[in-house]
Formats: sequence, structure tokens, C-alpha cells
Amino acid sequence: MLIIQTKSLFLFHLYISQLWLLFFNTMNPSNGNGSMSTASSSGAWDGRDQFPAGLRVLVVDDDPTCLMIFEKMLKACLYQVTKCNKAETALSVLREHKNEFDIVISDVHMPDMDGFELLKHITSEMDLPVILISADARKQVVMEGVTYGACDYLIKPVRIETLKNIWQHVVRKKARNTV
Amino acid sequence: MEVGQMQRRLVDYTKSLFMEGFLDAQFLQLQQLQDESNPDFVVEVVSLFFDDSEKLLNDLTMALDQPNVDFKKVDAHVHQLKGSSSSIGAQRVKNACIAFRSFCEEQNIDATLRCLQQVKQEYYLVKNKLETMLRLEQQIVAAGGSIPMIELGF
Repeated sequence: MLIIQTKSLFLFHLYISQLWLLFFNTMNPSNGNGSMSTASSSGAWDGRDQFPAGLRVLVVDDDPTCLMIFEKMLKACLYQVTKCNKAETALSVLREHKNEFDIVISDVHMPDMDGFELLKHITSEMDLPVILISADARKQVVMEGVTYGACDYLIKPVRIETLKNIWQHVVRKKARNTV
Repeated sequence: MEVGQMQRRLVDYTKSLFMEGFLDAQFLQLQQLQDESNPDFVVEVVSLFFDDSEKLLNDLTMALDQPNVDFKKVDAHVHQLKGSSSSIGAQRVKNACIAFRSFCEEQNIDATLRCLQQVKQEYYLVKNKLETMLRLEQQIVAAGGSIPMIELGF
């Protein structure tokens, strides 16, 4: 008698939990149906578990020592790194490979084209977050960078802990774009 | 000298570089980036810094040797040296660059010449120290030992 009662109790509970699951799925039709409003279409990081690993970063600095250190740090963050030592080269790479980068990090003071000019081109031509980096911490320079649209301005020397957080700028920009 | 002794000597030497201000915490960042996949990272970056800095110091010497000194150009070179020295943790070189830049802004030729000497001095000092340190590391590795990680208490 006891066994039959336990079994039916078990079956009862099973029935209730199935009802609950059905209820839950009706209220949240997102499981694999693609109807959730994720912002990006071609981004390489769309809700994958490894994000921000694989974040596609373009780093620009004419100083070879700094460029080597940035590359190593960004790789240690598990990002996908492309490096350039000239702003002109960086711009043509970005133009030829649209939608293949998530974020640009650029030094400010470079011969030929500087970081501000690169920033202006990027903000007018494409929708990428740009972080400026410099050993120049003067307020007016930082102000200029932020005013021209840099999503952040970092002072050298940059620590790896700071680079571990840059993915937030990518997410923030995409979130703003969907609103 | 056996490995343990060499390791202790290296630790003491490296600590002294931090205590005397030749290196700062940024150098530790570089050491932490070195791993089995890139066991020569520090040596490579430091060598790159040496090559790059020597070019910059030559350019600075030439720029300050002109009849009409282009202080903008001088400042640009110093700025770059400040950036690279701070990125590898060469603190005294970085500090010398900071002083240098303020005199560039004033366009003070005598002061900037003195600053150049100061920067060169600091550069050669840290170059010498780093080369000694890296040589000690090489000797340890050649003897089959591993490089001890430095823990700093500040």
C-alpha cells in the first residue's frame, strides 16, 4: 500500500513539474528560437560562453616596445589581436575588413596620422568603439579625446587588468545601438 | 655556484633594482606575462626597448644639436621614450623624461641639454642593471634551475 502511494505521489510530482515547464516555456519563448533582441548580427561573440575571449581587437602604436607589450597583454586576455604601427595602415585594414573587429585601441601621438584623426575617421565611417592610449595625461588632451568620441582614454603604462575590462565598451555600444 | 645560491643572488639583485627605483611594478607585469608558450618574452621586450631607446637618444642628440632647435620634435621623441620606458617599468628613465618635457615646453636649450644627459645616464644605468639581471637568469636556466618569481611587499 505504501509503495503504491509513493509511486502515485511521484507521478503526481512529475505531472506538476511538466505543467510548470510548459508554463515556463510559454512565458519565455527564447530557447533557441532567436526571438530575443540580441544586438549584433555578425559579431563573433554573440552570447557565446567564452565571451569576452575571442574579442577582435585592432591595436595601433608606432612605438614597437609598447606595441609588443600590448599584443602580449591582449593575447593573455584571450582576445584576437591584430597590430599596426601606423594609423594609415590601421584605417585601410578597418575599411577592407569591416565587421571583422570589435574594438580599436590606438596611441595618440603618432607621426603622419595621429590617434585623434584616426578616431575621427572611425567614428564617421564605422561604428566601432575606440580607446585612446597615451603617456600624455594632460587634461586638455584627454578632454579632446573624449570629446571627439573616444569611449575611453587610458594613460600609459597600461596594466593587463585594465585591458581585461575593455569588452564592456563593446557591449555598451551595441546596447545603445539597439535602443 | 650551485643553483640555489644563484637563485638567491638573482632575487636579491632584482629586489635591489626595485628598491633603488630603477624598476617599478610595471616590470612585474611583464614578468607575469612570460610563460611556457613565450619563455623569452621579457628578454625580447627589453631588447626591443634597448634598440628603440638608442635610436631615440641619437635622434634627440641630433635634434638638440641643430642651430635652430625644433622643440616640438624634441618633445615628440621624449614623449615616445617616456611611453616606452613607463611601459617596461624603467621608472628612473620615465621620471627623467617627465622633467625633460617640462623644459621642452619652456624651450630652454641649456636645461634640455642637461636633461638629455640625465636621461642618457639613467638609460645606461638601467640597461646595465637589466643586462646583469638577465644574465643571472640565463645562468640559472643553463644550470637546470627555474627563475624564482619576485614577491614585493609594497
